[in-house]
Amino acid sequence: MTGARSAEKPGFWIAFLVVVAVLAVAPLWFPNSFWQRLLTEVLILGLLAMSSDLLIGYVGMVSFGHALFFGTGCYGAAYALMWTESPLALWLALLLGLVGAAVMGIFVAFYSTRLRDIYFSITTLVFAQIFWVIVFTWTDVTGGENGLVFSPPRLSFLGLFAAEFTTMSMHWFVLAVVAMCYVFCRRVTQSPFGKVLQAIRENEPRTRAIGYNVERHKMGMVMLSALVAGLSGALYGIFNAYAAPDYFFFLQSGETVIYNVLGGIGTLIGPVLGAGVFVLLKELFSTYWSPEYYLIPVGLLFTAMVIYMPQGLLGFLRHKLNT
Amino acid sequence: MSELFQDLVVQMLIGISTGLILALVASGLTLIFGIMDVVNFAHGELFMLGAYMGWVFFTMTGSFWLGLAAAGLCVFVFGLIMQRSALRSLIGSDPLTTILATFGISLVLQTAAIWIWGPTVRRVGAALTGHIVVFHLQFPVYRFMVAVLSLAIIAGLWLFMHRGRFGLWIRATTQDRQMALAMGIPVPLVHTVVFGIGAAMAAISGYLYAPILGVDPTMGVNNILRAFIIVVVGGMGNLWGSVLAAVFIGVLEALAVIWVSPALAVIFSFAALIVTLLVRPTGLFVAVPR
Amino acid sequence: MLKLQDVQAFYGKSHVLHGVSLEVDGGQVVGLLGRNGVGKSTTLKAIMGLVAVQSGSITFAGKDLHRQKAYRIPRLGLGYVPEDRRIFPRLTVLDNLRTGFDRQGASAARTEQLLEQAYASFPRLKERQRQLAGTLSGGEQQMLAIARAMMLDPQIILLDEPTEGLMPRLVGQIREIIDVLRQANVSILLVEQNVPMTLAVSDRVYLMERGAIRHESAASELSVDDDVIHKYLGV
Repeated sequence: MTGARSAEKPGFWIAFLVVVAVLAVAPLWFPNSFWQRLLTEVLILGLLAMSSDLLIGYVGMVSFGHALFFGTGCYGAAYALMWTESPLALWLALLLGLVGAAVMGIFVAFYSTRLRDIYFSITTLVFAQIFWVIVFTWTDVTGGENGLVFSPPRLSFLGLFAAEFTTMSMHWFVLAVVAMCYVFCRRVTQSPFGKVLQAIRENEPRTRAIGYNVERHKMGMVMLSALVAGLSGALYGIFNAYAAPDYFFFLQSGETVIYNVLGGIGTLIGPVLGAGVFVLLKELFSTYWSPEYYLIPVGLLFTAMVIYMPQGLLGFLRHKLNT
Repeated sequence: MSELFQDLVVQMLIGISTGLILALVASGLTLIFGIMDVVNFAHGELFMLGAYMGWVFFTMTGSFWLGLAAAGLCVFVFGLIMQRSALRSLIGSDPLTTILATFGISLVLQTAAIWIWGPTVRRVGAALTGHIVVFHLQFPVYRFMVAVLSLAIIAGLWLFMHRGRFGLWIRATTQDRQMALAMGIPVPLVHTVVFGIGAAMAAISGYLYAPILGVDPTMGVNNILRAFIIVVVGGMGNLWGSVLAAVFIGVLEALAVIWVSPALAVIFSFAALIVTLLVRPTGLFVAVPR
Repeated sequence: MLKLQDVQAFYGKSHVLHGVSLEVDGGQVVGLLGRNGVGKSTTLKAIMGLVAVQSGSITFAGKDLHRQKAYRIPRLGLGYVPEDRRIFPRLTVLDNLRTGFDRQGASAARTEQLLEQAYASFPRLKERQRQLAGTLSGGEQQMLAIARAMMLDPQIILLDEPTEGLMPRLVGQIREIIDVLRQANVSILLVEQNVPMTLAVSDRVYLMERGAIRHESAASELSVDDDVIHKYLGV
């Protein structure tokens, strides 16, 4: 973050700092740790949604398999934390999560250049689901249905400092990572690299004709998206001290797409908001109806938004994808 | 005869029959995509719904055949309603929009099934029990019957599309929607009916599957994945390509089961998908490209 | 018989028709001339209900086409031959013609008669009736597109650049067909780039520019070298 050379208007930084400050301080007044943890969870899922928005909103590729990166990130972190309890464990966990997601990312990025719209969606879905099957059945390595349970790492900085995570310090740590990722992703989308991608989305043959390497740009964005999703997965693992095969399940990918549609595609921050709305609705329906059936009303709401609100949030999606 | 050879033959036959059941799902999916550019993510739930409707009527009447008829009919009507209420307004928009909408519908249907029928696996008795002997090997009669029935339904669909006026309308609309309108073909009606037919085929497939694997709310999710692989391998919108690809995938997975667990057999299908996308992204079984 | 009044239409986001008014009377051949992209084809699509009309009125034999569902319009007696032919490539020639059999009130005998007529006008199509339409030559596809519209037993046919890309001999054949149709009392709205041919076959012509009609006159009053022709069509 080189704030001095930033192209951002000062208003952006003021708004950004205010929002971060509110998110940092607000939980202190929450009635109990349940709501505090819920907000942290929203931030992590929001980061996952943001990573998927990098592809949907900025390249026009809808991934139905982001759970793959999320899950690999989570299991990567899990293996690191099961292997070591050193003060560096936290950073190792994040690193291993990123490495795992990068490996998957390379594969998907390679394919992304060959597959157009629906083929990309279907292939990402199938690929993620295959890994879910593998994780679910390969019990010796992955813990199978039960997943992996481990002890959470301690918060540490370069060995200078180490302490057990509390609910609040976990929240602040996650907030810091998410905020940095947001600024980074925003800068990428506004960079020449991001502009080329948007040109590809608008008119791929023309962009190719001008002489840009379309494949390389697409692959780059898929990699970035995979890494950010992997980071969110690693955070989720650290946050829950638990890795479950469900994180690979297609429902996780699907929910990620829902966050995007609810919040507004192509905005990076909208999907975070969408994740918040989703988690809130889920809690609401789970409390007042049933935790098993919340997808009935939420799914209806989502479908109705897609179909009957073309001028609403989806109108924005269509505008972004079709122009 | 060696044991491996016996396994190979039996698994091959099982694969063909499974493939033909899946062909019912896949051909509906590909028909719907071909004519209205809708990738129906809820197709697996129509498969599941068919199995449940059939199970309801089967337990009520005790007749396998009444269950089959009810499955097809109920889900046909459900498909008509779903297309008219939710999808009609999306036709002509980005295929990705229809993916999102049908994905939402699939979530609702799947959860609703858990709500209504619970997560337990329900059983449907096979119409025919017993075995037939092929090369001294035992092969369940029911599977043989299902294969023949599936093939008959697909042949029926082909006849419907190539004889008579409505079939001509379907083929014309698939090739050029605007010109079909300009020739006075009631395109919205054609779309709705084709969706209904696709839904009914998925439902019948789900019900035929029920005596083999049982009926539960997640059976749609588990099979739609395979159907998608089949449709891509067979070439999106290509009916016979889908049928061939379905049999191919069915046999592939059945043979894989000789060496790996059934859950992992799907990985072989995925490998087939990858090879297809690498070699011929428009599908392995596509006729001469025009 | 066919009357457009101040028709405004959009194609996607761009405003293509800025108030088009024109009229075709029974048995008339009316030419619609203009450079590429002035909205001639969109005018025909608007009549057929294939693009959304924002305002204005389109009436045919006293009926408001604007309010009709698109697939009902051809049944009222309008045939459409689009500029890129748009035959159904994976249907046989006969099946292409059969897509039009459905006209309301047409008896089986009448349908048979229409098919005979079409084959009489285009003997080539009869020879190839079992062949897939996509395998026909460009000229044959154009014949098929016209024959297909004739199957609707129309009172008017909208012809969009029927001579584009055809050999001179085939252009002559198109002219003959237009004359045959005129004698059968079928009106024609002809969109063309071929000015001499249009002036020769038409009763009246409209000149179009930037989504509106700029000039209207009897075809006999215009010649290829007129100033208005140069103004709206010259390069």
